[in-house]
Amino acid sequence: MITVSGLTKRYGDRTVVDDVSFTLEPGTVTGFLGPNGAGKTTTMRMMTGLVPASAGSATVDGRPYGELPNPGAVVGTLLDASAVHPGRTGRTHLRLLAAALGVPAERAEEVLAQVGLADAARRRVGGYSLGMRQRLGIAGALLADPPVLVFDEPVNGLDPEGIRWMRDLLRGHAARGGTVLLSSHLLGEVEHTVDRLLVIGGGRVVADGSVASLLGPDGAVVRAGDTAALRAALEAAGFHVEPGDDGALVVPGARPGDIGAVAAAGGHVLLDLRPVQRGLEDLFFQLTWPEGTLS
Amino acid sequence: MTTVLTSPAPSLGSSVEARRTGPSLPTLVGLEMRKSLSHRSGRAFAASAALLGPVGVALAATDAEFGWAAGPIGIVGSMTGLVLLALGVISTAGEWTHRTVQTTFLLVPQRGRVLAAKTAAVAVLGATLAAVSAGSSLAVIAAVGVDDLNWDGTGQALVTAVGAGAAFAVIGAGAGAATANTPAALTSLYLLIMGVLPLVRIWNPDLAQWLDPAEATTVLAQGDAEARSIAVLAGWVVVASVAGWVLTSRRPVQ
Ligand SMILES: Nc1ncnc2c1ncn2[C@@H]1O[C@H](COP(=O)(O)OP(=O)(O)O)[C@@H](O)[C@H]1O
Ligand SMILES: [Mg+2]
Repeated sequence: MITVSGLTKRYGDRTVVDDVSFTLEPGTVTGFLGPNGAGKTTTMRMMTGLVPASAGSATVDGRPYGELPNPGAVVGTLLDASAVHPGRTGRTHLRLLAAALGVPAERAEEVLAQVGLADAARRRVGGYSLGMRQRLGIAGALLADPPVLVFDEPVNGLDPEGIRWMRDLLRGHAARGGTVLLSSHLLGEVEHTVDRLLVIGGGRVVADGSVASLLGPDGAVVRAGDTAALRAALEAAGFHVEPGDDGALVVPGARPGDIGAVAAAGGHVLLDLRPVQRGLEDLFFQLTWPEGTLS
Repeated sequence: MTTVLTSPAPSLGSSVEARRTGPSLPTLVGLEMRKSLSHRSGRAFAASAALLGPVGVALAATDAEFGWAAGPIGIVGSMTGLVLLALGVISTAGEWTHRTVQTTFLLVPQRGRVLAAKTAAVAVLGATLAAVSAGSSLAVIAAVGVDDLNWDGTGQALVTAVGAGAAFAVIGAGAGAATANTPAALTSLYLLIMGVLPLVRIWNPDLAQWLDPAEATTVLAQGDAEARSIAVLAGWVVVASVAGWVLTSRRPVQ
């Protein structure tokens, strides 16, 4: 289990990561979401000891990353896909990592095949596209088949097929009992991959919960034959009703069943009735830009 | 042998056998030697270090006669050392320039251990390449030198060349670790050794002989001022290594 507690980073008098705490449980994929500059990369670098924390701590199974005996065999990290020597071939790069990790050199071939780079293994990394480097970075993180994966913006540069492949990889890892932390600044890229959202804005965690709890139904939209009559009936039943588009009524906090019951009791004809979900992007925007567009 | 676990993570039931401990120091040294030679620029510097001596001696022979073997071997030793500086710089600063240091420290977070391994690795490579350079230069000298070539002090000249090869590579690694920037490390080292110190020698020869590692190598190879020369080379090794270690242990990996 990964425990992050009060992690803080200050550069001069700017606090770029501010008292961030969370735990990551085996068997889950956690999406670490926030706009560019929110502090995701800095948090991940502090978790892995690359950047010293100004305050707070991060532990893997109770120990700081740097005190794990062979940390690469416990946490597979992808931070910066361009951090590969351009003059080495993909295979050489992975064989050097395999030697440092203490896994058989043949693992290099296995992970190259797993990420779809077998044909590029003999080419120098300097000639790889961004997407290929991203896959090479993932191959490196998978070499020791570690229980924890920490990936920073891994879908950058991947095509839609690559994004789907990544989703299967990470979901499969969690299904085997692995722990995944996956950062992104685009919700759409990870919304079908993650179980849990950890939203960060301005260095602070602004939301932390399951996708369902953060995006649960937020009300219903209804269209009736006699709009005014239904509105009166709903208000009489204690609902707050707002006008929507095209004569529809929006009822915040109501489930469609509640409205159906009111309509049935009063004999109202309904033309349309559906739940409204708070849009993922709306939620994201609202959480990470506190002074933003709340109506 | 290090202990091997069939599963590094009981929770995952991993199929991969990973070493349970970090790499041993000999493993890390071997790995750093492989890294230094795993790309063209590293191999190019290694080849230049090995070939500069014999090629230079062969070219010089077209214009001059060799009467004493130790003299040119000392010069070959210091020239080869200057090339090996670059090999050392690339092994440390090159990792920051290419940002591969991130992966290196993710796998082995003990930065002092990584630096110790790099120091040992470039010392072994530097000594080996300097031995090849000095040995083949000696063969060229034997072939083209005068008939009654003076072999006095050849042993010390060879040992000096090999030791200087190791020392210069280690100095390069230290300077590279201190600056974390390949061009900056190379420029400042070469400017200092080939630009500033010769000027100091003109202005104050007594001071310069206590500072110049290239001159110390040549002089030591010829059997002069042994204690001072060794002190100069050792001083450079210690200052560069300590600076590299202090600055590397504090530097954030961005
Ligand atoms: N070395 C640094 N010095 C000063 N500010 C930094 C440094 N590194 C990151 N920052 C700042 O910290 C903030 C968070 O950056 P980062 O963690 O990279 O965000 P994200 O990964 O969420 O896009 C940004 O405003 C960035 O400018
Ligand atoms: Mg980032």
